[in-house]
Amino acid sequence: MTSRNIGLALGIFLTIAASVTGLVIVPNWQFRELQPVKKADGTQYPVPYFGEQLKGRGVYIDQGCIYCHTQQIRMKGYGADIRRNWGTRRSVPRDYIFEKPHQLGTQRTGPDLASIGSRQPSAVWHALHLYNPQITSPGSTMPRFNYLFTEMKDGDALPAGAFPADVVKIPAPLQTNGITQLVPNDRGKALIEYLRGLNKTFPLPEAAQ
Amino acid sequence: MSDTALELNPQGEAVSRIEVDQSAEWVVTIYWASSLFWLLMATLAGLISSAKLHSPDFLGGMEWLTFGRIRPVHWDTAIYGFGGTAASGTLLWLQARLCQTRIPFPKLLIAGGIIFNVGVLLGSIGVLMGQSTGVETLEFPLYAMPLLVIPYVFIVIANFRMYFTRRSSHTYVSQWYLMAVTIWFPILVVAAEASTNLGAVDGVAQAVANWWYGHNVVGLFATPTAIAAAYYLIPKVIGKPIHSYHLSLLGFWSNAIFYNWAGTHHLTGGPLPAWTITVGVVGSMMMFIPVITIGINHHMTMLGSFHLLKTSPTLRFAVMGSMVYTLASFQGSLESLRSHQEITHFTHYTIGHVHFGMYGFFAPLMFAMMYYAMPRLTGNEWSSARLIRIHFWCTLFGTALYAGAMCWAGIRQGQMMNDPAIPFLNIVAFTKPYLWLRTIAGLILFSGTIAFLINFIRIVQPHKLRFVTPTLLNTERDYKMLLKKESELKHNDK
Amino acid sequence: MMFYVFIFIWAFALIAGVTMVWLLAWAIKQGEFKNLRQGARSIFDDEEPVGMVTDYFPGEAPLMKQLEVQR
Repeated sequence: MTSRNIGLALGIFLTIAASVTGLVIVPNWQFRELQPVKKADGTQYPVPYFGEQLKGRGVYIDQGCIYCHTQQIRMKGYGADIRRNWGTRRSVPRDYIFEKPHQLGTQRTGPDLASIGSRQPSAVWHALHLYNPQITSPGSTMPRFNYLFTEMKDGDALPAGAFPADVVKIPAPLQTNGITQLVPNDRGKALIEYLRGLNKTFPLPEAAQ
Repeated sequence: MSDTALELNPQGEAVSRIEVDQSAEWVVTIYWASSLFWLLMATLAGLISSAKLHSPDFLGGMEWLTFGRIRPVHWDTAIYGFGGTAASGTLLWLQARLCQTRIPFPKLLIAGGIIFNVGVLLGSIGVLMGQSTGVETLEFPLYAMPLLVIPYVFIVIANFRMYFTRRSSHTYVSQWYLMAVTIWFPILVVAAEASTNLGAVDGVAQAVANWWYGHNVVGLFATPTAIAAAYYLIPKVIGKPIHSYHLSLLGFWSNAIFYNWAGTHHLTGGPLPAWTITVGVVGSMMMFIPVITIGINHHMTMLGSFHLLKTSPTLRFAVMGSMVYTLASFQGSLESLRSHQEITHFTHYTIGHVHFGMYGFFAPLMFAMMYYAMPRLTGNEWSSARLIRIHFWCTLFGTALYAGAMCWAGIRQGQMMNDPAIPFLNIVAFTKPYLWLRTIAGLILFSGTIAFLINFIRIVQPHKLRFVTPTLLNTERDYKMLLKKESELKHNDK
Repeated sequence: MMFYVFIFIWAFALIAGVTMVWLLAWAIKQGEFKNLRQGARSIFDDEEPVGMVTDYFPGEAPLMKQLEVQR
């Protein structure tokens, strides 16, 4: 009686051992030797996250941006990612070697962000968009991240630690409640820096199509 | 005697069905009550998420309720909170019944249930407070996950204990699935946590491991438990054995072999070598074999008994579940094809498919289990047939509306995304009415759950002997026993 | 590196595959596949025999009718 059950258990175990091997262990081995490439100016691509960008990545994760945005460009001819200027080439494994954890995403309620930094380099645009998406993108269903900013009315003093250069003016027709200016707080600044740094346009040899 | 395979184990007599049910009463009721609680929480979180998608200022401006936090709380409470406890209760009761033994270690299992609930609660609060790990389906912070794993270890122990001391000589098909679930799930969670949140694997390899796990929670945990339930409930309610036992063997093993590999279809078109995606497509397409096999078994067993759908609540939910299993699985297999994915990947279609499967197949079979077993566990009767009917129709209609709206919206959304001439915000505007339909579908599902909640709260109240004609305690012997008790009560009252 | 990965995959697949085939042969020898039909009936017994419907809406079960054999 029990030997039959051991047979059953062994069979069951083998089915999952096979897929753990195939889908967890083997891909890990296949990619663990991937290295960044050296650029002409001596720097490398990709670069590990550090400082403000690393902190901003943490904000991206704790705000759950992944649930509406992807960070992967599909190849030319499969979907319209490149024709929409979301990227200049498809994404490849080397783009993600420093991503801990990956933020590839599975939903495009909003556009892809793999190279948002090259598409929208302006910190002012990001600040306005995050504070109130309706300012830059009317009709958007993205939530407001107003808590990443300090709101200022005319005549308000700068918050402690902020510089005049940090201040973002809200365009007059889109001001509400007398709020005319914004200053991103620490987390807001970090997130903006992270987004501005997202750029997967560097041409990689394996991505040539 | 000749009709049965109930051969008594030479070591002892089979424990009677009533004793099995009584031993299970507290343990299973606590697990199922937890599952109902989490279903309500998950639905609430789902409704808020759904509303925020078409009305982003709904409950807006509050960091802890931002869409990116409440949405993962929705699916984590749905999968682990509702799915985990419902499946655990099902596993314990079904295994006890089929092994004809009492449930062992009841206090340990109850403690486990409480720990599990605390774990889901802590995990959810953690995510709302900004401590999500950032890995889809594994968002719970690391301090919460052990609280989910340890109770499951207790269940595995209890399961094997029942199995190796069983009195029945035959291992019924449901038991293969239950044994599989107890072996697969711990391996899944440990391997997944190690490769994602514990950092053993990086980059895109982590994404593959991530979705190997994500899909296998559905395929190697939720699905086998629900199929085990269907294999028991359908024949038991209608009084006919399963159509073809040979087929059930084929169904089990093809399921076990192929479902494991399907997970990478969540990454089609992504930065991965073609083989990873191809393997996922092959695994997904090969699923036609077990799905058709299991479908034949369930649907052919029902042939000639469809009139019983009018009179049995368990059967309604169970047959809805088994039919949607076939449909949703066909849908999923086709969805995995690269040509299909070119349109539907990244769209609401995926969400439509998930809810079709989870609320059209998994949840109904869990409900069917509860409708069948709770009266036998508590010795009480469901208080209202009307509430049961409301629950059923809300589940059926709500799921159909949800899946229909989201799948159609997803197809159009995907087609428009593939046309670079269409500005992105136009696509957003197009999906809004469908997102409203989804919220309405969610409200319908919620109403059904409330109907179930009312019945559930009533059935767990302490007994008051009340019956006109017995319904579920329906053997002559039980009826005579109750008549005797009633006359004793009347005698004492005088 | 990839060379070693391939060796490993092939070795694993071979060993796992052979084991599974062996398990199947062993199960057949053990007599797992005779009397399969018996298994389908194992969930029924004297109190709840084949032919008896065991679930109704509350208050709607006919007491004596459920013992009728289903067609």
